[in-house]
Amino acid sequence: MIFHKAAVVMKKDILTSLRYRSGLVFNLVSVALQLATFYYLARAVGPQFRPDGMPYVMFLIVGTGLYTFLIANIHSFLQTIQQAQQGGTLEVLMMTSTPPAELLFLSALSSFAGNSVQFVLYVGAGMLLFAPAVKLNAVGGAAVMVLSLLIAAAIGLIAAGLQISIHKGSAVLWLLGSCAWLMAGTLFPVNALPKPLQVLSNLLPFTHSLTGMRLALFEADSTALLREIGLLLLFSLVLLPVGLVFFTWTVRRARQCGTLSFY
Amino acid sequence: MFGSVSKVFRQRAFFSRAVNEETQALKNVSLEVAAGEVLGLLGPNGSGKSTTLKLISTVLLPDDGRVIVAGFDTRSHGQQVRRCVGFALASERSFFPRLTARENLEFFAALEDVPRCDCSDRVESALQQVAMCDAADKQVMKFSSGMHQRLGIARALLKKPSVLLLDEPSRSLDLATSSQLRELIQELSDGGIAILLATHNFAEAAEVCDRVAVLQKGSLIATSRACSLSDRQLREFYLTLMGEQNLIAWNEEVPA
Repeated sequence: MIFHKAAVVMKKDILTSLRYRSGLVFNLVSVALQLATFYYLARAVGPQFRPDGMPYVMFLIVGTGLYTFLIANIHSFLQTIQQAQQGGTLEVLMMTSTPPAELLFLSALSSFAGNSVQFVLYVGAGMLLFAPAVKLNAVGGAAVMVLSLLIAAAIGLIAAGLQISIHKGSAVLWLLGSCAWLMAGTLFPVNALPKPLQVLSNLLPFTHSLTGMRLALFEADSTALLREIGLLLLFSLVLLPVGLVFFTWTVRRARQCGTLSFY
Repeated sequence: MFGSVSKVFRQRAFFSRAVNEETQALKNVSLEVAAGEVLGLLGPNGSGKSTTLKLISTVLLPDDGRVIVAGFDTRSHGQQVRRCVGFALASERSFFPRLTARENLEFFAALEDVPRCDCSDRVESALQQVAMCDAADKQVMKFSSGMHQRLGIARALLKKPSVLLLDEPSRSLDLATSSQLRELIQELSDGGIAILLATHNFAEAAEVCDRVAVLQKGSLIATSRACSLSDRQLREFYLTLMGEQNLIAWNEEVPA
């Protein structure tokens, strides 16, 4: 049943995207422009700058690619709620036999799939174009990806819950995104930050996702990668139940207050 | 079953207990609807008709009292209640506008746990019930108000509900479609479905309802058998309860 539901939700999203053709084209163009931007940025910085022992362009592409992937996935949860509130479908969706959290996961599924394809294309194109020495640890990379997705889903549930309760989930996501942009090692290595910010950076799951993915793609050192995977597992074990409980609680509270469709 | 249900809407900040504004939507309302019965909810705007329907559908939860649907309490067994309640909302904005009517119904059928093998048949049958087969492959954004209304009823029928909630179902319908809708309501109640119908239309209430309940400012002020009444008698019954001024206001808003 769950696969049937997932297929139907994906079909709905694909049909909607195809019928908004211009949006699809803009999306593809923006990916190409982003790649070009980082190529020229790395050229301007010069080949001598090799953060974590890799070419700067690849550091940027993995950092921004994964950062964008995670934020987009978190945003897809928030967007599901926002669009349903604005389109008037939220109350109807919450009246169906599908539990709210399951519904949210299903609705975010096509965004997840789209973002994953975009991430693989983005990093793959970067590797092909700039041909660095890749020492791919496929299992480690997949583990980092899956755990990062679970963490993104957990934070997405919290953002969706905030959208239902305070109608300003996007502001919270913007704040989190800005912190991660600064502190997670997206554009520059974390050790360039002052010590107190480095401590804060270690408390962000994004930092470990980015470090883990870079290690899985460019380093043979599996001990450091295992440490990052362990930390990501810990984050997901804590954040997922918190996200689920928080989202369920906010939906119930909205049913109680009659604010389910408010935005 | 609705047992001494009260509902207050309180406007307050998320992290605060201080209440800015309070609206009593329902006061100690008790109602019961049997299988195969059609109960009409009458009352002016803001009297609590839609709130009553929303409480049954679990979109809202009661502050006091209990709402029991098919033996399940909406507070503790919301999921089970949602499985047996179909709700046709009064709102037009509850579909995905870029999808066709059929695609919308297929989507909602899957969310309602309709088995994959039954999905097409169930959608087809729901479309037939509301006489919308011709418009099935048209995008919903091109629909008129009346078509939205009929599609909403089709969606509510997808899960084969044991309780059907209809919020002003004939609001934007032409005479012929209204008449078809009444036949459909009759057919569904004959099939054992309990139906709650919020309406401003006396003729509709007199024709299809077994009983009517009159609400005013969130209180249930009377219930009466309706199957033996004409729309004129029902109108007089309402007039006696509400006073002439309310009926004039009513007639100005919606032609009955």
